Formats: sequence, structure tokens, C-alpha cells
Amino acid sequence: MKIFQIALGILAAIGGFVDIGDLVFNVAAGATFGYQLLWVVVIGVVGIIVYSEMCGRVAAVSGKAVFDAVRERVGFKAGLAALVSAQVVNLMTLTAEIGGLAICLQLLSGLPYRLLILIAGVGLLIVVWFVAFDWIERIFGYGGLCMLVFAVAAVKLHPAWGAVGHGFVPHLDRESPVLYAYFAVGLLGAAMTPYEVYFYSSGGVEERWGPKDLGLNKVNAMIGYGLGGFLSFALMIVGGALFLGQGIEPEFLGTIALGAEVPLGQIGLLLGLVGILFAVSGAAIDTLFSGAYNLAQFLGWEWGRYRHPRGAPKFTVTWLVLLVLALGVVMTGVDPVQLTEYAVIFSAVALPLTYIPIFLVANDRTYMREYTNGRIANALGILYLVVIMVIAVTAIPLMILTNVGQN
Amino acid sequence: MTKTIDLGLNLLDHQLLDTDGRRCGKVDDIALEGAPGGDFEVVAILCGPGVWRARAGVIGRIAAWLGGGGRVRIPFEEVADVGSHVKLRKRADELGLGRGDDRLRPYIEKIPGSDH
Repeated sequence: MKIFQIALGILAAIGGFVDIGDLVFNVAAGATFGYQLLWVVVIGVVGIIVYSEMCGRVAAVSGKAVFDAVRERVGFKAGLAALVSAQVVNLMTLTAEIGGLAICLQLLSGLPYRLLILIAGVGLLIVVWFVAFDWIERIFGYGGLCMLVFAVAAVKLHPAWGAVGHGFVPHLDRESPVLYAYFAVGLLGAAMTPYEVYFYSSGGVEERWGPKDLGLNKVNAMIGYGLGGFLSFALMIVGGALFLGQGIEPEFLGTIALGAEVPLGQIGLLLGLVGILFAVSGAAIDTLFSGAYNLAQFLGWEWGRYRHPRGAPKFTVTWLVLLVLALGVVMTGVDPVQLTEYAVIFSAVALPLTYIPIFLVANDRTYMREYTNGRIANALGILYLVVIMVIAVTAIPLMILTNVGQN
Repeated sequence: MTKTIDLGLNLLDHQLLDTDGRRCGKVDDIALEGAPGGDFEVVAILCGPGVWRARAGVIGRIAAWLGGGGRVRIPFEEVADVGSHVKLRKRADELGLGRGDDRLRPYIEKIPGSDH
């Protein structure tokens, strides 16, 4: 029974891993560089596994979610800087996910875009307000599994498997190294999006994890994110097999769904769109809550998705305000795919502000007792801090040099 | 209380829980009393946006202004325990904490489904 539950949780995690950032960057990287950047996805997925395991462990042992720990460890001032940058990036991501959701609805229904933004907003509100959270996780996680159609599509497109294999070997590109680096940074930023750890660690605290749940935490992080990464590979392979050298830039989410239509027909297109719909909706809900978690944890308010709205009023008002703000921004007609690129690049810049304090806390005996980082967690933790610093410093210059990946 | 704690790391910026276990703010600052050269004693915990002004320069002042600038002083006698959270002896409303949540609650309660 327990194994059954874990399996269900993992299924939901696979469906919940991919968000609009992964969709956009994986397919665009495939369309531009074929399979050459697959190895970067591996690095990104291992990174998110390392840091979500760490955040989950901190949550389980100390009962503190990310922004509790950040503020306690680095103080009010540096913590506030981390909070502000996290909230800006989080709101951009939320806006992009909602825009993506409206586009999916438009492709499925043909109704006007702005009307669908409203429908998306009201729909999300109703779901979050009335549906119990474990059901939200299941519905959107399993719905997101429709995206496995991209894995089938990747095989059906008969990619050159030798080239795919070569893509997993780290290498550089001589012809356009700057653009290659831009995509590498974007793929890492998309895989290690910080809202995932805010949400994950807050969930651990809400579910009252203790040291006995550390095994579950490890399994969740490794298998859930690991298999989620598998979907990222599929998206890049589809992008490479279908769009490389065609001069097609997957600037529209519809183009991404086309990746499932070409080899599989109408049913492929439908499954692809429904999968994307559920994936971006689930991510919208996660980012919505992450924003409210962060603020409430930083300021010491009552918080929690399992608490009824009346049990955490300021927390509830925060996510309501974030939802309205994001809807307002989408309504201006900003292109969600473009916004996604900015959100991912800026989140790459903000990563160290979240991950450095977490690393410090995970090594602090006063918090972690005997559960501080082991050798492997520390070796990987430090390695990834270096990776994160490098991408944080290079992200914006690369964005400017490549004109947001356009040349 | 006789255990030794590092005020900067183990008290400042920690979560306050009231006697019912309700989250009701953070230790935004600590009031110390004592003569120069002598021992210092923690006499109170300070919290609320008004305290942020002194802690984070310009953005602290902006945050304090946005938060309304209120501050609450909790005498250290009201602290029951300093562990991973700071536990208080009274309910939040008796200490003047958690007011924002209490003020918003009646409105939230009017919305159907707010207690499910």
C-alpha cells in the first residue's frame, strides 16, 4: 500500500516537473542545436535533485521551509534582497505559466485569447479555493503525464540515435559558442527553477515530515525529478528531429505541440496540448503558492495550503493578489514565450541567493543535528554552487549578446 | 532559562509561535539592557514593520513604510522557550501580535469555501 502511494506520488511528480520554461528551452535548444545540449539537461536535473533533497531534509529535520531558513541564516537585510528577487522572478514565472495556459485553451477551443485569460484565472481560482490539495497535485500531475506523448513522438521521429548519444557527452560548439552558452544557461535555469524548491520544502513542513521521512524525501527527489528530466530529453529530441535546420523557431506553444502531431496525427496533437495544459496549470498553482509561502515565511505569518483560507488570511490574500497581478500582466498582451525566456534567465541570476543559504543551513549542526550534509551532498552541493554562480554571472550578458537567443 | 544560545543565530529572525502554536511574527529585533563593560540582558523581543527600518537601510525603510510601521514589544518574561521556534506564554492577540490576520479573517470568512 505504501509502495503504491509512493508510486502515485512519483507519477504526479513526473507530470509536475515540466513547466513552460522547460517546454520553451528544451524545444528551442533542440531546434537550434539538435541533440547537442542533452548533457546540460542531465546537469540541471542532477542539480535540482541535489538541492531539493537538501531543502526537503532541512524541512524534515528543522521544520523550516526555505524562506524561514534563509532569513534566520543570513539575516533580515540579505534575506530581504533574496526575497525581493525571488518574488519578482516568481511573479514573472507565474505570469508566463498563465499565459501558456491561455494559449493552450485557445489552441483547443479557438475562442479569443483575452477571454481565455479570464477563464484561466477564474478556473485556477476555483480549483485552488475549492479542491483539496492532494487532489490538485494528482489531477495536474496525472494530466501532465499526457506529455509522455512527446516521448513516443521522439521515438517515432526516428532520430539518429548515434547523434542523440553524442549529445549526452559534454562538449562545446565551435560555430556559435555564445548562443550555445545562452541555451545551456537557459536549460540549467529552467531545470533548477527555484519555485520548485520553495514549493517542495514548504510541502514537507506542511506534511509534518520528520527524520523518519528522510528516505521518502530522497526517493521523491531522485525519482520524481529524475524521471521528469526524461520528459525534457524527449522534448529536446523532438525539437531536434523535427525543427533543426528547418528555420523554424518554436516561438509558439502550438509549434511545440506540432512535435507530437507530425509523427502521431491528431491524437498526438490533442494529447500534447492537454499535457501542456495540465503541466502549465499545475506549475501556475505551484508558483502562485510559492510566492505566498515565501512572503509569509519571511515575515512570520501563518501559512499553508492545508490550512483553510480562514486559518491563514494574509497568506490567502497574498496569493489572491499575486493571481490578479499576473492576470493583469498577461492581459497586456505580453508574449508568454518571450516572458518565459526572461523569467528563466532572471531566475538563473537569483539562484545563488536561495541556494547559498540553504547550503549553509544544511551544514549547520544547530539546525540539522546528525542530519547535516554527508560527503556526497557536500561535494555535489559545492559543485553546483559553482555552476549556479557561473550561470548567475553570465546569464544576463549572454541574453544581451544573443538578443534573447534570436541570433 | 539557563541554556546558552547565540542571540544572532538562535534568536534573531526566528519564528514566533503563540501558546496555541499559531505563527505570529518573527523576532525582528532584540532589546538589550546593561551598562557598558558589564553584562547585557535580553529584556524584550521587538517585532513589526517599524523595527525593519533600522535593519536594512533604504529597502528596510521602504519595507517598513509598506508594512505600516507598527511595532510590538514583547517582554522577555513572556518567552516560554527558545528552540527551533520561539514559543510565547500567551495568545497572539493578548500580546498584540497577529493583528493583520485577525483583521482580515472576518472578510475571508464571508467567502464560501473558506473553511473547507
